[in-house]
Amino acid sequence: MKQQLTNIWKDWRLHAIVLGIVLLTEAIGTHSFTVGPGVILLLPMLYAILIGLGLFFTPLIKEKQSKNAEPLIVLGVTLLIAKIGVIIGPSLPQIIEAGPALLLQEFGNLATILVALPIAVFLGLKRESIGMTHSVAREPNVGLIMDKYGFNSPEGRGVMAIYIFGTVFGAVFMGLISGFLATWTPLHPLSFAMASGIGSGSMMAAASGSLVAAFPGLEQDILAFAGASNLLSLSTGLYMSIFIGLPLTEKFYQFLTRNKQDSSKQEVREGA
Amino acid sequence: MLKNLQEWILLLGIFGVVALLGNWIGYEVVAVDAIPGMLILIGICLVGLLLGEIIPGSIPSVAYVAIVGVLLSMPWMPGSDVVVTYTNEVNLLALATPILAYAGIAIGRSWTDFVKLGWRSIVVAMCVMIGTFLGSALIAEVILNFQGII
Repeated sequence: MKQQLTNIWKDWRLHAIVLGIVLLTEAIGTHSFTVGPGVILLLPMLYAILIGLGLFFTPLIKEKQSKNAEPLIVLGVTLLIAKIGVIIGPSLPQIIEAGPALLLQEFGNLATILVALPIAVFLGLKRESIGMTHSVAREPNVGLIMDKYGFNSPEGRGVMAIYIFGTVFGAVFMGLISGFLATWTPLHPLSFAMASGIGSGSMMAAASGSLVAAFPGLEQDILAFAGASNLLSLSTGLYMSIFIGLPLTEKFYQFLTRNKQDSSKQEVREGA
Repeated sequence: MLKNLQEWILLLGIFGVVALLGNWIGYEVVAVDAIPGMLILIGICLVGLLLGEIIPGSIPSVAYVAIVGVLLSMPWMPGSDVVVTYTNEVNLLALATPILAYAGIAIGRSWTDFVKLGWRSIVVAMCVMIGTFLGSALIAEVILNFQGII
């Protein structure tokens, strides 16, 4: 990694293309349209990821540029975190005041198990569903599942599936649903701001960016709460999964599949 | 480490220029006005990255970056208003756009894996994200209401 980091700044082709994408997408600007009761917001960053992905399949981007882009994401996120830090600072009194809500909403991440696991089992997925639904499957959770079940296990394949989806479409998807849900449901934008911090810098930026575009008057509070929640998710998420999320997923999976297990046992008995 | 520091400065500098130009076009902040804010942010990054290298333990550098940023801008810190005023010129979304442009280029290599996922994985992945988002929002709503903040 440290070896690779050298001389990436010299990859002018990559930086020029990114500059081109940024100028184009910022010039297009934010657009929104209503779908039924909610609003879908299209932010420059959403076009940027799609254009970047599209350019990967053209001769403009070679394997080298694609590899060199990775450390710049890491440094870009570092810069984003510095910005989130100076957004949180001035709002620290309000954040401390909202501390109980911030801490407790972290448990909301467990709702993914209750929502997604029954659907995964209903769709016929087996133990893959445990890896898929125990968390939002960012890097620490991929590590946890690989460590516990192994790379070639069904659980490992499951967590990788969600990780890949999150990597490719996470920011786009979070940006679209956060604006939509915040305008459609009666929940307060600040509640969604706290929910935006799910432990991924780009997903948080997309989700809270949509909220700001929909509720510009609350910009400072939205970004401060989203940033604080994201830092909290980053620092507590893994422990939440180890001690609560994963055991709960295992238990709930056994509960959901109990009839199937009974019937398969019965079949064995009848067969024998 | 010095080699790394040089590389960090160069890459953050390039990233900063791209973001400043995006900030200008998208959010109408003239690039010159946002330069001090960008320099402050890059400085915070460098201090955090260096702390991550120097301080033993497995705490990731981004945690130090966040802590330095919060400390410099909290109301009890003398001079924090300067930090806040200047960094306010740098729009958060102007930083996010180049990140996602680089990300789009990088994830092209994951595309073949993505295509292999199959529709069931994609349905479950969407439910996973909606689940965590709505779950957290519901709990936050109840507690914020209870506290009388919203």
